[in-house]
Amino acid sequence: MDDSLAKVKRPLSGIRALELAEIWAGPFCGVLLGDMGAEVIKVEAVQRIARGAINPAPVSHGYPDMDPGERPWNRSAAFNGVNRNKKGITLDLTRPAGVEMFKELVSVSDVVFTNYAFGVMDRFGLGYEELKKVKPDIIALFTPGYGNTGPYRTFRSMGMVIDAITGHTALRGYPDMDLSHNSLVHHPDAVAGVSAMFGISMAIRNRARTGRGQFIDLSQAESFIPHLGEVFMQYGLTGEVRPRRGNGHPRMAPHGVYRCAGDDQWVAISVRSDEEWSEMCDVIGMPQLARNPSFQTLGARLRNRDELDDIIGRWTRELGRYEVAEALQMRGIPAGPVLDCGGDTYDDPHLQERGYFQAVEHPEAGIHLYSGPIWKMANRPELRHDPTPGLGEHNDWALGELLGVGSGTLVELELQNIIGSVPLEGADMGGVRRAAELRRQNSA
Amino acid sequence: MPQVALDGIRVLELSDGIAASYCAKMFSDYGADVVRIDTPDSPSTSALDADNAEQVALYLHLNANKRSVALDLESERGRGLLRDLALQCDAIVESMSPGVAEGLGIGYEALSSNRPDIVMTSVTPFGQNGPYNGWSYTELTVFAMTGAMNREGLPNRYPLKYGGEIAQYFSGTAAAAATMSALAGAAFTGIGDWIDISIMEVMAGHPHQIGRRAPFAYSGEVDRRTEPRTSSAGGREPYAVGTFRCKDGYVSFLPLGPRMWPNISQMIGRPELQQDPRFLTSEDRYENRHELEEIFQSWLDAHTRMEVFDAAQKAGLPGGPVLHSHETVENEHFRSRSYFQDIVHPVYGNLWHTGLPVILRGMPRSASAPAPERGANSGEVLMEYVGLSETDIRELEDSGVVRNG
Repeated sequence: MDDSLAKVKRPLSGIRALELAEIWAGPFCGVLLGDMGAEVIKVEAVQRIARGAINPAPVSHGYPDMDPGERPWNRSAAFNGVNRNKKGITLDLTRPAGVEMFKELVSVSDVVFTNYAFGVMDRFGLGYEELKKVKPDIIALFTPGYGNTGPYRTFRSMGMVIDAITGHTALRGYPDMDLSHNSLVHHPDAVAGVSAMFGISMAIRNRARTGRGQFIDLSQAESFIPHLGEVFMQYGLTGEVRPRRGNGHPRMAPHGVYRCAGDDQWVAISVRSDEEWSEMCDVIGMPQLARNPSFQTLGARLRNRDELDDIIGRWTRELGRYEVAEALQMRGIPAGPVLDCGGDTYDDPHLQERGYFQAVEHPEAGIHLYSGPIWKMANRPELRHDPTPGLGEHNDWALGELLGVGSGTLVELELQNIIGSVPLEGADMGGVRRAAELRRQNSA
Repeated sequence: MPQVALDGIRVLELSDGIAASYCAKMFSDYGADVVRIDTPDSPSTSALDADNAEQVALYLHLNANKRSVALDLESERGRGLLRDLALQCDAIVESMSPGVAEGLGIGYEALSSNRPDIVMTSVTPFGQNGPYNGWSYTELTVFAMTGAMNREGLPNRYPLKYGGEIAQYFSGTAAAAATMSALAGAAFTGIGDWIDISIMEVMAGHPHQIGRRAPFAYSGEVDRRTEPRTSSAGGREPYAVGTFRCKDGYVSFLPLGPRMWPNISQMIGRPELQQDPRFLTSEDRYENRHELEEIFQSWLDAHTRMEVFDAAQKAGLPGGPVLHSHETVENEHFRSRSYFQDIVHPVYGNLWHTGLPVILRGMPRSASAPAPERGANSGEVLMEYVGLSETDIRELEDSGVVRNG
């Protein structure tokens, strides 16, 4: 084999995956598969979109220059930000013609993945057994919040709720306030997306060796729980239930976030040893503090933490967050500016020098900077970053070119709203039928 | 007979941090042979006291199902053995400062010239280049730099880190996904790769962060901490968003928008509120959110976490109990899935280990072994991988290059 060609080829090029997914857990898996060269086809429906409102206010945040335009579903920042590297098609999977087309696609694909609630795929007639009939070696990953078996398998969940049941919510928040002040959190969604990518990659490698497909059962809760593994283990070892720590740490002080000059500007600082403390006293221009018995040892610094934090805070208050971080890092002390997801991370010199942000032109949204792939590869320096597809943008390609469906049939499918590129009224209200049903029950 | 998923894959781990060790754990949990390199003077993990319980717990969690080889990498012979081991592996996962692997003779160039299919994954706080190369880090300081911290906490107080070591674990998971897909690619092409994982970049590239950075790029939307119940009219139903006190603890809810108002009123047994003029539209409910939150809260105060969970599910709402980790282990759902694994450790006895992050149905779980004492497997691994004899091992032990057992 020509070595240079192999190096250009991305690890998953030649793999085709069908995505039936909303919000983050499923879509982020698709992003990562696409980064690695897989051809990901996102399947949506004109009857239900998860691309924001169909008729947002004429001036709305989250659209290019606050202008939703004629097709806001193709111009949503939140959606376009997390769906790179995909083709986009629409199919109404509640009707036989849509299901038939989907099965045709399965027959020429390697992977089907979904984060729909348990049972949705079965209701479409697209459970694993059905997929396997169409493509015996298909790799299928279904990830309802709690997994595909067990008493909670049918339960509705969001990252916020997974965070609660796994034990993480109880570890978050300000130690001096109760949990009802905790911020919203969606982290477990992302963990599930990355874990799904890992599971699918395992199955792809195994299929290459054995020729066999695979059903993958991903519980979003179970993929996240190991990230708290030492907390569970410590309970088993010592019977200790870990208390909330806020920004504190039982073996490091100072260890916190301190206010800097400017509006809502902060710097994080961790001092890991007595030696680093002594260095830090030098940096803040108070070398005598290193000999002050109130702070000389870790135990003393932990006991006198409030006083210690006051001293550090008085120093940082007058300085910029980068200035503080750089001064401490010069002496090897961990410190970093608190950066927001507005301008801060875009302006960060390190991310800029590493080429983290990429200018990508989206045909309906224009040119913007997007966050890059989350890893770099020496042999594949140009990981992909294709713009997010518009709704139904690739219907002609997928059904026409890939499956060979004639143009007359495509027109017919569009007339029946099996496919399309404009959402139907109410398509942005997902659970509208469910809500109507509840209203009926209540009035009955 | 189906095989364990990653049977036959060999992974070498050189890690002093959580991210790379967790990456390697994702391989050992699926049956890959993961050999972690320790040094002869690495502290024992078989003695527990109040000061080290957390580190011991972390070690036991991260290293289950792995083997440990203790090598003196200061010595030429130790480095030679390291190179010999590395060339027998399919993947190397390492967290050393940029350049250190090259100095030890296991840089990607050196290894791939002998093994073009090898996958090397370097997991560092800031990646292999750039101005922060060489910066120190802890979970707190790197988390601060990702964009995640700026949204955690209240607007009038300091920003917070999440609980635990979340950025490091998340990066370890991403490292495992990248490594696994590169190994799949190597199976097709015969060509591996060198993967550069930056903890900062992985956490900054998390959908929560990129989903907020895009609105800034599109329309200049600022990114600030907000009150947990804040949500504009037309967004979520603010009175029912977030974490709430209930009769025996706390519960969390994330309703998906105005369409869930009927579900919420049904859950709290007050369907008539749907006709209440104060709460007709989502704008009305936003306007009167404090009244609504009081109604919601008084219902919660009368119900336990599990009663709330049950009612939420009956009403089709994403809501559930805030559990403490020991309650999670006991939870009926995870028990029914045999999720937590009871593994016997020779010193500490039975210990619950967290289970597999993803299940390949029909693949048997690999035999579960507790984390090895450091250096416990030096002899067997060096004989198996490098072909040394027992005499060789004894001689290496005598000269201090290897600690065995």
